[in-house]
Amino acid sequence: MSKATLEGKTISLEEAYRKAADILRSARFPLIAGLGADIAGARSAILLAERVRGAFDHLASEEILADLDVMRSFSMFTTTPNEARVRADCFLFVGPGLTKLWPSMVERLAPDQSPRHGAQAGAPRKIFWLGPDASEAKGVGALSINAPVSEISSLLAQLRATIGGRPITREAAGATPAIAEIAQALKSAHFGVVVWSASAGLDALAIEMLQGIVADLNVSTRCTGVPIGARAGAAGVTQAAGWMTGFPPRTAFGRGYPEHDAWRFEARRLVESGEADAALWISAYDGEPPPWSRADLPLITLAPAGKQPGHGLYIEVGQPGVTHDAVEYAQEIAAMTLRKASQSTATPSVGIVIDAILAEISEASSC
Amino acid sequence: MKPFTLKLRQEPPQRVDLSVLTPDRLAGLSPAQIEKIDIGVTKFSTKVGDIFEISPGDLKNLRYEGGSSRFDLIGAKLLPEFSIHVDGDVGAQLGRLAYGGRITVTGSAGAYAASGNLGAEIEISGDAGDFLAAPLAGELSGMAGGRVIIRGSVGSRAGDRLRRGVIVIEGSAAEDLGSRVIAGTIVVLGATQGRVGYLNKRGTLILAQCKDLGPTYLDCGAHHLTYIGLLGRSLESASANAARLLSRKLRRYGGDTSVYGKGEILTPLRG
Repeated sequence: MSKATLEGKTISLEEAYRKAADILRSARFPLIAGLGADIAGARSAILLAERVRGAFDHLASEEILADLDVMRSFSMFTTTPNEARVRADCFLFVGPGLTKLWPSMVERLAPDQSPRHGAQAGAPRKIFWLGPDASEAKGVGALSINAPVSEISSLLAQLRATIGGRPITREAAGATPAIAEIAQALKSAHFGVVVWSASAGLDALAIEMLQGIVADLNVSTRCTGVPIGARAGAAGVTQAAGWMTGFPPRTAFGRGYPEHDAWRFEARRLVESGEADAALWISAYDGEPPPWSRADLPLITLAPAGKQPGHGLYIEVGQPGVTHDAVEYAQEIAAMTLRKASQSTATPSVGIVIDAILAEISEASSC
Repeated sequence: MKPFTLKLRQEPPQRVDLSVLTPDRLAGLSPAQIEKIDIGVTKFSTKVGDIFEISPGDLKNLRYEGGSSRFDLIGAKLLPEFSIHVDGDVGAQLGRLAYGGRITVTGSAGAYAASGNLGAEIEISGDAGDFLAAPLAGELSGMAGGRVIIRGSVGSRAGDRLRRGVIVIEGSAAEDLGSRVIAGTIVVLGATQGRVGYLNKRGTLILAQCKDLGPTYLDCGAHHLTYIGLLGRSLESASANAARLLSRKLRRYGGDTSVYGKGEILTPLRG
């Protein structure tokens, strides 16, 4: 049985939809944030943002935009995990915790097996890892350079210089001789693949350096990348935002048309500066709380059972792919897929709840 | 002739887009027409007259009496021979894509000050936010001309993808100063943090305080470089301390060798 509460008191769903519509319609600049939802939920949320002329942001925008900034201002070579598995003769993993961020990574990329296609078919792959977690690298049989995540960008710079035959300081070359080995392996590989995740702590500059390595290698051989996307449906929501508005999250409809500004439309900044005067927070996967500290902001929360916030209006929603069927971006195939509900319930999805709120808004406005 | 003045009546209720209030775009409009210009960026309208009291004057010199961190895009696409003075703070994207002219701010500026500046002389007496002179999302190059003087400190990624021109920061700089610099010059008199000149192609960074520059900057010895002396003399009137730094013998570190290695970081000799 689905439920809704207002300041902790149970109210009917109809009343909750009406109340949510009132809050969003009367706000000067409402914020639709979190956006942890499947494709249907993201589509409804972005339509709602357009209808009430507010802004929308995803809870993992920082990580989404780290990759996207490199794609839109530099270049990005990527492939699907499947292509990497059947063709790669050399893997370079970058950053800690990749097997936690993508639990089926080892199964999907099968670094311990040989590539099936290409000149190196049947020969064992070379595997390297920059800055892995304690036991992670051993699990895939990688030669690793242990370093804290803060030093990865410097190791990548060193690797790129070495691949290009340009000098590095003598101290650095002496401290990490394995860099020269990795450089040689990537240059002599027929199909190198780098695997990274912004969620492991790599920022846009480190990713640009990594993609610079890939671009440099493609002058003389083949090399590409497999990015591991961020949490809470981030990759799918970004694609939906792209086809609906032309922009990724951190986009607003304040002037009636979509404007993207990663600084101006960051959810936390909008709330803490007082520019947004009401918020709808969506986190259907795990009920992650909003990142801001203000408690006086009119707040509507869509989260799964048991994740009711301390204040504001709460509407319980189902979990995508768990309590209801959901289309979402699947890391394992690098494409959209339909995930069947594993424990189907009648709890409404984010898409259904927002469509109901939208219907209330349209009902009340004269047009 | 006295300048055209916009006196602050009240703090704006929302961010305002002041790109429409450059001298060339106000020419020929009466004060009543100017007061009706909508500068709001949400569904609620905010008009020039709600925020400012206008005193007409010489449009070549625009003056804001009172500022706000919500004043975005002041002096955007400013043309040569015009000037804007702000007595107070400004918001994001001050002097965005300015072709020329002069902008002075007595307070602090928000993010993306001097973003894509093409030739304006911009001076900020206070601090500047993140992404000073940097490109906006998806743009290929940052500031491509002009001169920016910051008396205070700056946020992270200052001078990102700088392509041409000079930036002088008299205070300190947060993380990732001079990231992805293509060319141009950045002088910092205070401290710097984290990576400096990461992915620098052929820009010149001059740091008064030496620090560890990582594995891809190589010591090229200490020099009296003629062009640095000339640059220093050209900065004498704008920043005496920067001029003094540039007149000294400086150690040159070539890098970032991860890209071309044609850039450099110059710092005074240790000790």
